[in-house]
Amino acid sequence: MTAGESPKSGKRRLEGAELATAWFVTARAMAVAAIADPSWSLDEVRGKALDASRHSGAGLYAQAVLGLAEQDCIMGKSPERIGRMTLVDCLATARGMPEDQAEKIMTGAMMMAFAQRQLTPLAARFASMLASAFELTPAQFESCCLSGRVLADMTVRQK
Amino acid sequence: MTEPPNNFSFLDPVDPRLSRLAGQAESYVHTDPESCLFKLRLMVETMASTLIRLSIQQPGPLDLGAMLGTLERQGVLPRHYADHMHAIRRDGNAAVHGDAAPSSTALRRLRDAFALARWYFTQLRRGSRMPDAAFSPPLRDVAASGASSDAAEALEDRIETQRTRTRDALLLYKDAEEAAAWSVRCFGELRALEDIAAAVGEPLVDAESVALVMALELEQLLEHPVYGKGSRDARRDAADQLEAVKRRLDEQEARFRSERERLIGELRP
Repeated sequence: MTAGESPKSGKRRLEGAELATAWFVTARAMAVAAIADPSWSLDEVRGKALDASRHSGAGLYAQAVLGLAEQDCIMGKSPERIGRMTLVDCLATARGMPEDQAEKIMTGAMMMAFAQRQLTPLAARFASMLASAFELTPAQFESCCLSGRVLADMTVRQK
Repeated sequence: MTEPPNNFSFLDPVDPRLSRLAGQAESYVHTDPESCLFKLRLMVETMASTLIRLSIQQPGPLDLGAMLGTLERQGVLPRHYADHMHAIRRDGNAAVHGDAAPSSTALRRLRDAFALARWYFTQLRRGSRMPDAAFSPPLRDVAASGASSDAAEALEDRIETQRTRTRDALLLYKDAEEAAAWSVRCFGELRALEDIAAAVGEPLVDAESVALVMALELEQLLEHPVYGKGSRDARRDAADQLEAVKRRLDEQEARFRSERERLIGELRP
């Protein structure tokens, strides 16, 4: 059993680069979900520039809220790590996270979703899947939405 | 009195003020690096306020950092050039506050300013090609020794490497190519998940309350009878957490400044 493992809950706390990978995959997926329409072609998605605010908001969140170090963020985004994690892997990882960590990732995901104050169908779906993987109650999800909305204003929309 | 021709004279037809500022910066690079950095900062500030005026067509923020943030968010300022502008802003600020800088710092920022000036030219002269001009480093006085210059260059290399790491750690993607590749990949996976979830009747989040949270202005949210307390708590926590990151980044820049000061002290006869 590793240091972050809880025998009671079967949940495992992610640390360092492992947490960074899970966060950045979630953030990247939500950044795409928040701007894309399911009817788009791949070329339309490719051509849609990601707005600069989401670019730095994700890293700021990683360091400020998730407490990740610069080195963790860089390692977590290295192609060898992040390139291997699909969204299904990400959701499976989410399922194993302890509650407080899950709430932080969910909040960050909603911060990314709220950057342009619109919830696309894909963003709503991805948020639902994450919330379900994290086994969040409606009240917990609502709290994540609130914090995400506040953070979006502080880090993504106005920075 | 006319200024001598400089690396930036191609800016004359676009904005003579910028050309003059850059020319002055260039003339100070070895003799008075702090003044060079101050002039470059002024040049960047002039560029940023012009770009804000032209692209947003409404009064922008007064602070240079905020102006650059606005230009980046609006997609006016590509990241590569934003990095140059931020480097000039940081080193220019340090110079304004009396921190000493070696000429190698000034020369690097002058190179950054040159790249910026070429890009800026194409922004103001839509349809024009980037000027062909190549940067020609201002000649150094023979009094500057090779050894001292090597030490200063090594320090600047280290600072640049660390600043790049800091930036890479913060950004979602390394570059536009990675962003495009990931967007396509994520989109494909999201669409597949959407199809599966819809087919099995997976419930969606309460979109109504999410929409309400999203629709409210932050001030309304903070005063909301139901959401107010949670929002205020979240804002207070986030403000502390963001402040801690900002403090760490400021401390890093302060370390760079003190290393430059120490180096200058060591090199001074």
